[in-house]
Amino acid sequence: MIKVEGLTRKYGAFTAVDDVSFVCQPGRVTGFLGPNGAGKTTTMRVMVGLTPATSGRVTIGGHLYHDIPNPGLHVGVLLDASAQHAGRTGREILTLGAKTMGLPESRVDEMLALVSLDKTESNRRLRNYSLGMKQRLGIAHALLGDPSVLILDEPANGLDPAGIRWMRGLLKSYADRGGTVLLSSHLLHEVEQIADEMILIGRGKIVASGTKDELLAGAEHKTSLVTALDNELLAKTLRDRGVTVTPAGSGLRVDTAPVEVGRVSVEHGIVLTDLRSADGGLEDLFLSLTEDTQRDNLSAAGAPAAATTTTEGAKA
Amino acid sequence: MSATTAPMSLDLSGTQRVPMSRLAKVEFRKSLDTRAGFWFTLTILALVAVVMVIYSFAADDTMKDFADYLPIAGGVLGYFVPILIIMLVTSEASQRNGLVTFTLEPQRSRVVIAKFLAGVGLAVCVMIAGFVLAALGTLLGTALGGTGEWSVDGNLVFNGFVLANLIGVFIGFAIAMLIMNTAGAIVGYFAYSLILPIAVGILSALSSGFEKVAPWIEFNTAQMPLFSGDYTPTGEEWAQILVSGTIWLILPLALGIWRLLRIEFK
Repeated sequence: MIKVEGLTRKYGAFTAVDDVSFVCQPGRVTGFLGPNGAGKTTTMRVMVGLTPATSGRVTIGGHLYHDIPNPGLHVGVLLDASAQHAGRTGREILTLGAKTMGLPESRVDEMLALVSLDKTESNRRLRNYSLGMKQRLGIAHALLGDPSVLILDEPANGLDPAGIRWMRGLLKSYADRGGTVLLSSHLLHEVEQIADEMILIGRGKIVASGTKDELLAGAEHKTSLVTALDNELLAKTLRDRGVTVTPAGSGLRVDTAPVEVGRVSVEHGIVLTDLRSADGGLEDLFLSLTEDTQRDNLSAAGAPAAATTTTEGAKA
Repeated sequence: MSATTAPMSLDLSGTQRVPMSRLAKVEFRKSLDTRAGFWFTLTILALVAVVMVIYSFAADDTMKDFADYLPIAGGVLGYFVPILIIMLVTSEASQRNGLVTFTLEPQRSRVVIAKFLAGVGLAVCVMIAGFVLAALGTLLGTALGGTGEWSVDGNLVFNGFVLANLIGVFIGFAIAMLIMNTAGAIVGYFAYSLILPIAVGILSALSSGFEKVAPWIEFNTAQMPLFSGDYTPTGEEWAQILVSGTIWLILPLALGIWRLLRIEFK
């Protein structure tokens, strides 16, 4: 539904977004993940025509945003919840949106109820709103026109845990009804819980994309956490094979892949009660893929090339 | 939205563009729905009323006709209406709500037109209120011993009141579009309306050559015939209004619009 094709945005010599292509499918929540300054917001701003692209383009349902009449009825946008006149009340902000789109005043009440802003809160001026309240108001504004596509930049910012859970449910059911959702975040666990597809961006480039399983499929595991009925025997056997073993809690940390540990356990009849990889999780993958944009002290395992599965190829 | 077979394309056939009348109405509402906008508008009108009262007591009894009150109301309004327009236009950038405005109507030129229509609408409302206040002032003047003459020169109403305020709307709009920052634009407006005429006055006093050129290049000077004498500029004076108006109105406006249509709106 959202198709980004070869999008590049340069600021002088600095390339904020570098030849980015991806697709967001209807009926799915797509998470757009990357460290601060990776180009997420710029990409989303180009999507809705606020920032002109240097090259490439974005279409929403086959149209350039600029060409969509009354776009609020088709695409719900939340880029910055604070980007509203601080002197307007929450209700007034929604009313202006509803009036522009040609919606009845009752729609404003519906949306306020949906995001749990009560009457007193909605009549307060925006400058007196907490970040979480602004975020709720912004989500209400994005949903005003009952759009089929949602573009949300860091929507969970400032929401309390209950608010994040609420938003997760809201977006899930929205996607289940066939809506397309793109949301960005720099917090992995936030996206991990909500997104069906993930797009990882670092320094303006897509470094990986796919479902959580697809992303993890290619990751190498080099460390395992294992617990056996006889930890000492397992440790001795592994050390005999030249593998480094260190105690970790009630079990052992082993510098080899889980499959090797399993093999040893079968060969020597050692009963395991727990075996899993100690690395190669989404967080490691994320950090390794974006490591050159962070401070240069992370050498975690990861296989960007293997993990990359373009959603386009997988779905089209 | 259907459940399983969600389409990959948006069907836009049933959607109309947001009509200009609706955009303009929303912009008009935006000019009055904040404390700043609402109270500033009210304050301007209150100021007109106060000036009317003071004038009624202070002026000579022979100068308390409607034709005396109207230019005073027009003058006060003409001075402050541009600031109203500046606030309406620049708040989009200063308060950053332009992010939403230009997302709901990505054709930025349509937003510019809507803003202008809203600005004119606001100015007309304020002018009608100013007209009423001038009438009330005349009644007060009559009660205080004035002759209470109601007949006015049509040129005075149109040139000195309506046209002058419409030019004010244009000025505010042009400065706002060019500077796109509330504080900066208001400072710019005062520089234009206060400092510039003084500078021109000094230069004209020093050099008779400049005095002849001034009305061609300085818009305030060029507009004087609209507000004084018989309120009817001569052909040459109209030409001066046109030439200096191009310099001070059309150029900044064109530059401001050209930029707004291209920039990345932050």
